[in-house]
Amino acid sequence: MTVQDKPRVVRYTLNSGLRGESPVMQHRRRKPITGGRLLNYALVVGLAGLYVFPLLYLLNTALKQPAEFIRDPSGLTPGFALQNFVDAWQKGGFGGLILNSVVYAFVCAGASTALSLLIAFPVARGYVRGSKVIAVLFVLSLFLPNVIITQFQLILQLGLYNSRIGYMLLLTSGLGIGPLLIISYLRSLPKELDEAAAMDGCGYFRYLWTFVVPLCKPVLTTVFILQTIAVWNDIIGATIYLSSPQLKTISQGLFAFHGQNGNNEWALLAAATLIVAAPLILVYLIFQRFFVSGALSGSLK
Amino acid sequence: MSASPGVTLGAGRAARKTSAGNLNPFASSRRGRILPWLGIAPGLLLFVVFSLVPAVTVIFLSFTDISGIPGVPWRWIGLDNYTRFFVSGSTTANFAIVSRTLIFAFSVTIILNALALVFAVLLNNRIRGANIYRAIIFMPVVLGVTVVGLIWSLIFNPTGGPAASLWGLFGSSSAFLGDPRLAFSLIIFVQIWMSLGYSMMIYHAGLMAIPSDLYEAAIVDGATVIQRFRHVTIPMIASSTTVNVLISIVGSLQTYQIIFVLTGDRPTTSVLAMQIFSLGFGGSSEQGYAAAISMIQFVLISAITLVALRYLRKKETQL
Repeated sequence: MTVQDKPRVVRYTLNSGLRGESPVMQHRRRKPITGGRLLNYALVVGLAGLYVFPLLYLLNTALKQPAEFIRDPSGLTPGFALQNFVDAWQKGGFGGLILNSVVYAFVCAGASTALSLLIAFPVARGYVRGSKVIAVLFVLSLFLPNVIITQFQLILQLGLYNSRIGYMLLLTSGLGIGPLLIISYLRSLPKELDEAAAMDGCGYFRYLWTFVVPLCKPVLTTVFILQTIAVWNDIIGATIYLSSPQLKTISQGLFAFHGQNGNNEWALLAAATLIVAAPLILVYLIFQRFFVSGALSGSLK
Repeated sequence: MSASPGVTLGAGRAARKTSAGNLNPFASSRRGRILPWLGIAPGLLLFVVFSLVPAVTVIFLSFTDISGIPGVPWRWIGLDNYTRFFVSGSTTANFAIVSRTLIFAFSVTIILNALALVFAVLLNNRIRGANIYRAIIFMPVVLGVTVVGLIWSLIFNPTGGPAASLWGLFGSSSAFLGDPRLAFSLIIFVQIWMSLGYSMMIYHAGLMAIPSDLYEAAIVDGATVIQRFRHVTIPMIASSTTVNVLISIVGSLQTYQIIFVLTGDRPTTSVLAMQIFSLGFGGSSEQGYAAAISMIQFVLISAITLVALRYLRKKETQL
């Protein structure tokens, strides 16, 4: 499939979306609409379909009356059974669960973002001895053995089993790549700023709060969001550590809801799944660029 | 060194500062030097107590018969947990679990990276709305394992779900996740579906860094699409490939959450990490034995990671 010998006409008519580009750009990379190009689009659209379809199907199921689902599980919904969301909310007790998860997510993500910055700044600058050792510790922590057993024993010894504090301490301590992301971001912040601020008599913590935090907003947002999502979606930790109903999280509640209602109550279950997923989708749509930058900077380690 | 004590002290301090390589501008006073440590302390303490110490002490627990029930006495039992896994226990089942762990990790790593690379390249081909496609494919990373697991349980619902309808078109039927022969393949599929967006993003970053002159030169030389992919793209994104493959291998050797949500611990779908969870927190609560399996898993992961890292680095320099 050679690129050059296709008729130009086709290319210009079908490439109308690229009209804004300069002729130089078009010359630089010739991408005429060829069989290959159509195949390219077909593959990409097909793949996206594999991601959109399950979500739409979930929505479709959530909007069916439970009886309609049993009669015709995969057909298009005849109406909008919004009652499912109310029923699922009440049956699964999602009000309390959401409140718990919101508290866990905000407290833990907020605390671990702050702690990550407090570690990352002096380490990135080399202001403390052993900066390299600390940085290496955090990299190593990604490859250490599975700790669920020993963490559980520790929490048991500390008397923190089945308590909010114990669960939140564990989630906060899992700083993960937070400090690493902030360290790599801080390299772009000029050191002269520190010197100027110190010269003017600005204190260390005041400098962090009034200068570093605003300047690091993008990476701090990324770290905060990654942590929030991790807490919101944590299923294993919640299953292990939280047994009292009043402490449980939303992911746990959703999973239990599935266990109780099995494959018969899919209309309600789909509604419940959407209740859990909706805040995530919303956050994702609003903060999408931070997710991408988080994923990318994570790869630059 | 022969100078007066005062000078020596000053020189010592200067030397210390230069050996650290960085002068802390806030450290004009003793207080200023302590403040950074004051900031580091709480986070580092939490990290050391709840992540580092547990990681190091797994090995000690693996020589005990400790349980998860508080107050039950435990004792040192030497290598018993390890001999139980390899020699005296249900060894056939254990080796099946180890090999299933490897199958899971390798098939996820290979298929995931191949797909992620191909689609990252396809989306880099001046596709209209490429960012929207990328955002859609990244979505499961955000939705998390419980939501993703339930969505696919719904799709694989054997009574009238869309997958069942599709199977029906070919005159076939299946219990899907309830089918012992099929369930594990479906789990691998869902794991790949869930991680594709993340891998693709890393490849995308690598592709963005390739100078377009290289492609121009290749086109001038008459290279076909395939040749350009083979001789320009692949060598130029070698470091992204290394990162991606390592993340996939380590991640897929450790993960079990999707198995937990989709099928639970079943003899036909279990992997090492799943075993650690269900032995440690199931009815029997054999946490000493689970700790031993954690160590076995750790050795396996370390060995595979080191071999993979050496191989990938060698490839990187060859290309």
